[in-house]
Amino acid sequence: MFVLPTARNYIRLAATTACRRASLLRPVVVPANAVFAKRHITTVKSSDSQEQSILVAQRINRPLSPHLAIYQKQLTAVLSGLHRITGVALAGGFYAITVAFAAGSILGHPIDPATLVDLASGLPAFVDYSLKAIVAFPFVFHSVNGIRHLIWDAGSQLTIKDVYTTGYVALALTAVLGVWLIVY
Amino acid sequence: MLTRLGLSVRPALAPVLRSTIRPTSQIAYRSLFIKTIPQPPGNIIGTVNDAYATPPPKVFAGSRHWTFERLVTIGLTPLVVAPFITGTSSAPIDAVMSSLLLYHCFAGFENCIADYIPARVFGVWHSAALGLLFFGTVIAGYGIYVIETTNNEGLFGLFKKIWTKQKN
Repeated sequence: MFVLPTARNYIRLAATTACRRASLLRPVVVPANAVFAKRHITTVKSSDSQEQSILVAQRINRPLSPHLAIYQKQLTAVLSGLHRITGVALAGGFYAITVAFAAGSILGHPIDPATLVDLASGLPAFVDYSLKAIVAFPFVFHSVNGIRHLIWDAGSQLTIKDVYTTGYVALALTAVLGVWLIVY
Repeated sequence: MLTRLGLSVRPALAPVLRSTIRPTSQIAYRSLFIKTIPQPPGNIIGTVNDAYATPPPKVFAGSRHWTFERLVTIGLTPLVVAPFITGTSSAPIDAVMSSLLLYHCFAGFENCIADYIPARVFGVWHSAALGLLFFGTVIAGYGIYVIETTNNEGLFGLFKKIWTKQKN
């Protein structure tokens, strides 16, 4: 790279020659077998916008987090996912029921619980129990796992072993209480 | 330029990578119906020398929000469990339970909107989702009032009737 003799470069030149003169005062011993490697350093001048484009190119090449699907299914992650899925489903049901009652009242066609009871009574036993299971198991799981979350929030049962133990307890309670609720 | 930075792709791998790897902005968020905001490479905003801009502080956010949600959940637990043990409930107790449950559901949906419909990507749709949630919550609140004033045992009673198929 050719250095243009600008005012700034003259100052640098003066400074380096001053250093060289100072070093000349001291005796320099060079071993006979010393090998002086030629340094191959090239510099590239770039503007701010070019630097930005280099940065963008680097960022595109950065590794991405792997997709969720490649991870092994483990109790911790599965129960965490189920907690949110059941929560969203139950909350959706809660909003659907309350909004339906509100809409019925506002629009002048209030919902009569007796009609709903008639509807439920007309269902075949298999469909009735299936619908109950669809409601009962997510409700019980979310409730039990919610208590598990509160225990964690209190700073307890936080080791991996404890997380697994409480996880299996939550699943067992869900099975037992869920069946109890279906035959309630 | 990329070769100088050590970013060049080996010639043997190049055709494979070109077909499988797409720019991050295209991979990060895909939406069927809504046009999302394209994200900068590496999801980093600004240039190298920009300092991090902290979001403006909010009074009801962070730890207070977290604590409030826990308090609601702790209050909710006995109110949800008790009717199942005693087999009955009363409208006032059920009204408190339903109100806390409504806030619990609202907070849960709010978190889901923050996670899955972020303003950074969905822009105005994030605000629209929050607005719809607020509107729905107000309507649901009125729905709870209707249920509590027309059913002796409130929401629990409503479920009990349908569950056990008794009309009383």
